[in-house]
Amino acid sequence: MAQDAPGAVGVRLSPKLDEASLIRAVQRGDQDAFEQLVRAYDQSVLRLAVNLLRSQEDARDVFQEAFLRVFRSIDSFRFDCSFHTWLYRIVTNICLDNLRKRKVRKEEPAVVDTPEGPLDRMNDFEEEAAHADPERSMWNRQLGQRIEGALGGLTPRERMVFELRHYQGLRLRNIGEILGTSEEAAKNCLFRATQKMRAVLGDFQ
Amino acid sequence: MNCESVTKLIPLYFYGELPPEEEDCLEQHLDTCAACARQAESQRVLSAALDRRETQPSAALLAECRHDLMRAVYRQGALVGQAGSLRPIANRPLHQSPLAAFGAWLPSLGPWRMPLGASALLALGFVTARLTAPGAAGPFSLASLTPDVISSIRSVQPAHEGGQPGEVQIVLDETRRRVISGQLNDTNIQRLMLAAAHDENNAGVRWESVDLLKSHSDSSPVRELLLNRVAEDPNAGVRLKALDGLKTFTGDPDVRKVLAQVLMHDDNPGVRIAAVDALTAHADDNMVGFLQSVVQKEDDTYVRRRCVKALQDMNASVGTF
Repeated sequence: MAQDAPGAVGVRLSPKLDEASLIRAVQRGDQDAFEQLVRAYDQSVLRLAVNLLRSQEDARDVFQEAFLRVFRSIDSFRFDCSFHTWLYRIVTNICLDNLRKRKVRKEEPAVVDTPEGPLDRMNDFEEEAAHADPERSMWNRQLGQRIEGALGGLTPRERMVFELRHYQGLRLRNIGEILGTSEEAAKNCLFRATQKMRAVLGDFQ
Repeated sequence: MNCESVTKLIPLYFYGELPPEEEDCLEQHLDTCAACARQAESQRVLSAALDRRETQPSAALLAECRHDLMRAVYRQGALVGQAGSLRPIANRPLHQSPLAAFGAWLPSLGPWRMPLGASALLALGFVTARLTAPGAAGPFSLASLTPDVISSIRSVQPAHEGGQPGEVQIVLDETRRRVISGQLNDTNIQRLMLAAAHDENNAGVRWESVDLLKSHSDSSPVRELLLNRVAEDPNAGVRLKALDGLKTFTGDPDVRKVLAQVLMHDDNPGVRIAAVDALTAHADDNMVGFLQSVVQKEDDTYVRRRCVKALQDMNASVGTF
């Protein structure tokens, strides 16, 4: 029942090069090593951005900005922490900025009301959703609307902690390290997030 | 363990974040407390609902992101001017002006920091002056050197015969800076800019000149310059800038011919990628065979992938039969 963290997310490095050697190669200017390093993490970074921001365009921007920052500042990586933690600090900072700007702009939610009922704009690229049976699809839409409402009620930081724990499977200790806070603070964030969501989803469950 | 503490621990329990002994205590409490057991069940249902919400980015989106990223990276690598290798620059601000960034990235381009357009002024002839010019009144004072005069000492020698004891003569060569302003469509200004775009000693001036002139690429001399620079300039940044200026003429057979040569022979992958983009921006079935041959010979995986994608976009096969 309990979901366990898979450790470093999405790492699929070639057995030829361990990660430290790969990073040193990138620091020496090896373009193939950079591409290999990106490939080791890019799926999990994109998945985080897509699920967190619920916008393909924003996720694409986060992806590009994060890895370009890595490219530009890889010389400053001194192996004081794991590359995964360093990368995720960059990614989560960019995502948090995006979420905070949305809060200020009060951007439209991913789920919008239409004459045909609530519509999750993200369904456009959830390819499997198109093949679901209508009854389940309707239930999913309603649940999706409720969940988006619940997630929308979280602070950007609560949202981030929840996303990293639930969808990325990271340990709270690692999440605290990434977000520059303590494990205890990450625990409190997770608790507040789940409480808020359970309150909003309430009778739907 | 009471209900209040269990409530707080349920999410941690669910995510496996409790130490074993605390987990045992909590499970014992759940076995005996229906209210807390309902909360744990509620947490499980919430989690299942959230699992259904999870979106996996499509393979197409991932491929596009990878493509856009590597393209941006190659472009940066191209500006660094090193074919086949990237030089990540630490702590570089994200939004530098291109020319400032150009100077910062290329130590070898130090001379560009000299007055821009200096080489263009060469076309007008030097304005020289001697500090000891005939008729100059009073002793020379260093303070009289103005910042728009670049001086270098040619020789130092004892004063000529009849001079005061201990007197010396210093001969300086000076280049005086002049500022010339005018519209880019002014023939004389354009002529100076065209000269500046060929200044072999100063890549920064060439880059700046090409950047300014490319907005006038409808003029034949400018287009010829862009074609010349994209094919001949030793600096990849200048070649990319010239290529950018040719984008609106990718339907012109002469331009396409040069771009095809660039794609085949340029040593910089960033420039080759820009050439692929420019060539494929204009629908042309004749490109299929050419791109197929590039795919066969191209060493760089990303340029090759870009050509493959262009062929796929054209519904053409990648290989030849």
